[in-house]
Amino acid sequence: MNSLKSQGFAPVVSDRKKDGSEWTVKEKIMLGLSPKEYMAVQLRNPFNWVLWAIYAIGLPILVGRFIFGLGWVTHSSYDYPWGLFLGWGLFVMVPLSASGFMMGTTVELFGRKDFKSIERLGLLNGLLGYLFAVVFLQVDLGQPWRLIYPMFVSLGPAAVLFLVAWHVATYLSCQVAELVPAFSEWMGFPKAKKFIKSIVLGLTIAGIILSTLHQGALGALFTYAPGKVHPLWFSSPFQWFHFFVSAVFAGLSMLIVVSTLTKWFMRWRCDENYLNNLSKLTLGLAKGASLALITYLVIKIIGIAHDNDWQYLATGWGGWFMFEMVVGVILPLIVFTMAVRNSNASLARFGAFLAVFGLALNRLNTALITFNWQLYQEIPHWREVVIVITVYATYIVVYRAVLARMPILYTWKETK
Amino acid sequence: MGGRKKTLVGMAALMLLTAPLVAQSWAGDGPGSVELGSLANHYSAVTFDHAMHTGVATSCAECHHHTTGASPTDPTCARCHEAGGKSRSVACRDCHSDKRFSAEDLAKIEETPKMYHKGKLGLKGAYHQKCLGCHTTMGGPTGCQDCHTRNDKGDAFFNSGKYAPAPTAKAGH
Amino acid sequence: MKMLNRRSFLKGGLAGGAAIAAVGTSKQAGAAGQSFGGYPDSMGVLVDLTKCVGCRTCEAACNKEQGLESPDKPFDDLSVFEEKREGGLPRRTTEKAYTVVQKYEVEGREHPLFRKVQCNHCNEPACLTSCFVNAYKKTPEGAVMYDPTVCVGCRTCMIACPFYIPAYSYSSAINPVVKKCIMCYDTRLKFGRPPACVEACPQEVMTFGKRKDLLKLAHQRIGQNPEAYVDHVYGETEVGGTAWMYLSDVPFDKIGYDTHLGDQPIISYVKEFLAIVPMVLTIWPALFTGFYLLSNRKDALKNEDNKS
Repeated sequence: MNSLKSQGFAPVVSDRKKDGSEWTVKEKIMLGLSPKEYMAVQLRNPFNWVLWAIYAIGLPILVGRFIFGLGWVTHSSYDYPWGLFLGWGLFVMVPLSASGFMMGTTVELFGRKDFKSIERLGLLNGLLGYLFAVVFLQVDLGQPWRLIYPMFVSLGPAAVLFLVAWHVATYLSCQVAELVPAFSEWMGFPKAKKFIKSIVLGLTIAGIILSTLHQGALGALFTYAPGKVHPLWFSSPFQWFHFFVSAVFAGLSMLIVVSTLTKWFMRWRCDENYLNNLSKLTLGLAKGASLALITYLVIKIIGIAHDNDWQYLATGWGGWFMFEMVVGVILPLIVFTMAVRNSNASLARFGAFLAVFGLALNRLNTALITFNWQLYQEIPHWREVVIVITVYATYIVVYRAVLARMPILYTWKETK
Repeated sequence: MGGRKKTLVGMAALMLLTAPLVAQSWAGDGPGSVELGSLANHYSAVTFDHAMHTGVATSCAECHHHTTGASPTDPTCARCHEAGGKSRSVACRDCHSDKRFSAEDLAKIEETPKMYHKGKLGLKGAYHQKCLGCHTTMGGPTGCQDCHTRNDKGDAFFNSGKYAPAPTAKAGH
Repeated sequence: MKMLNRRSFLKGGLAGGAAIAAVGTSKQAGAAGQSFGGYPDSMGVLVDLTKCVGCRTCEAACNKEQGLESPDKPFDDLSVFEEKREGGLPRRTTEKAYTVVQKYEVEGREHPLFRKVQCNHCNEPACLTSCFVNAYKKTPEGAVMYDPTVCVGCRTCMIACPFYIPAYSYSSAINPVVKKCIMCYDTRLKFGRPPACVEACPQEVMTFGKRKDLLKLAHQRIGQNPEAYVDHVYGETEVGGTAWMYLSDVPFDKIGYDTHLGDQPIISYVKEFLAIVPMVLTIWPALFTGFYLLSNRKDALKNEDNKS
């Protein structure tokens, strides 16, 4: 598409074509291309070939999971009841999607209108991350058709997961509402946008509350297994706080990563306003992330001191912990600081990749790698890995499809 | 646990009560042999060679505690039963209930707060702990079927014999 | 009864409540409630490991009583003791076996020690407190029951159980459920009868009775025969106390028991988080509305400046 644009192709940016006639929905879905052109573009993209290869292998296995049961795709482990589906799909995806509430807070609450051009990307990153966390959950649940049981059929309100379920559900609707403006512009329903504008403050504050609690709750879930998670990754008084604060830098870093990817691969869809502001905003996000990182580092150390876990640092697990802290926390902190000081957005982008890696490693360490550290280590079944890749590929496909169409990376030009 | 099983337990208990009466042949101080049928559900009855065991044991008290009048071997028991304290009956089943943990037995313990031997073993436990305990130290037979032969129902219960699972090479992952 | 009342109260409160408000009240109640010490007259089982000879009759009895799938090997096949699961660990409870006997060769002990494993039926069970559909119930008789009809299959209970007890029927695509010992509640305990394994045991390794009586008995046994036991009743205080308790002549950590579980029920580790929930719910809205007004005040002042 980038090359198409350099040849003079103009993507959809308003209700009307150049000649003044209205785009039909079908045309908008086709990105303003003719069906033939659209197919040609799809076939030309090498990334799509990768996706098709993933689906060719992954879709049958995903279908098989629902026909033959979890036992067919996982090790059916009683000792490791949670595998990659939740380890990656819930515990990594959700903090990386914290960008939604972060950007809502920055723009709508703190009045930092300068972040406006990246706010929608932050919101979308949040919405899709949560949506696919639910998809992953549905793959993992033994009886996914009972997903609504904790809401309406049999309630266990004193459980942490009950809070997660309710909050993710409410927050998902919150995020859908926050993105209604983008959708309404694209579809041409101005009324919906007006309505959301009138309640945006409420939505944003609800977003902060729900996010604080469920990001923390994901950490608190592990306080049910105090002896099973390695002490360096576990601290019952601080667990929720560790998860919450790391979600803050993770959400911001993920937003930098995603915006970098859009700059590289979807430049055709970005407007001048977005591209021109991106470096400055990247540094702004990096600044926020570095503040969260230093907070996280400090409370991690306090956590170790509070539980007196120092002796574990000298063990093999301690080495692994130090690796996570150095590569995933301290290094990005240094890189971000240097980037902000030298106004070097590329450096900040590198730091963001590190921080995202650090977050993912932390969550996988807590949920899978150091879990049952006194028993044995389980390597996920290959079918489990294939399914995770397939669902994550779908996440990318949906993400890309929305970005290519709705006014996320560009500003909609009102014509009425 | 249906009524069928209850009937069987009842039958077993009945056998236990009557069997020794008919099967006992007296020789000297005690019965020559005793038929033990408390596990008749899964095993054929055991013919206990009492005469042989009296020859092996140093004192009746080794098995009968204080009830035969002999001084108990365990000093803890001797504290109260030093003088022997011969009982009206020396049969195991007269003190060791064959309905241990039944509601009646539990209620009896509950209603007698001053009862000392609250944790007294049931009949089956008493037999096995006494027999196996001694057999282990003396080198007697200790396998289940060394003493009692399992019947067809027992085979089914243990999924053994003709009820054994087909040996399938289960490829778990 | 305390817990049941609290729970049913919460259910009622939730019926019409909005999501946030409902979670708020429930969390507050959850955080404020003290530990549940267990029902006063609940039943239990005292397992005297020194008496177990490893005949596996209890396993067979459990299999028949609970109508479980036939085993892979006959119940009189003692080679299962040498089987190892991942990590060189002894076999554990599975969807086909709610109880298993493990064998431990202990240095200095003449004979191997056999350990029976099944649900310990905690006074304040981690599985119960972690369940978000309330599928678990602690009955006044002491059993921890599981309701497969509401279970969603999140398997948090398996994460939470400090004893690694609940298994899951992963093989079923349509109706996978948690599989664990229910102390023969519906067929026996309810009617005042002991669990099948207790009744089947030839050695009377297990004593069935009121938990409080069993504790007395356990300490009496240790007191009367101090050289035959280690001076600890496992399950008396572990994770808030369990209905199944153990006596051993070998230190418990040498025979696979986790001796670092602490005396607090698992839920107590979660309470630190539960306590902040109502705070966030009440303080955050005011705090962030304040932030909003502050940041807008700047804009408003700027506008006024521009006008003047």
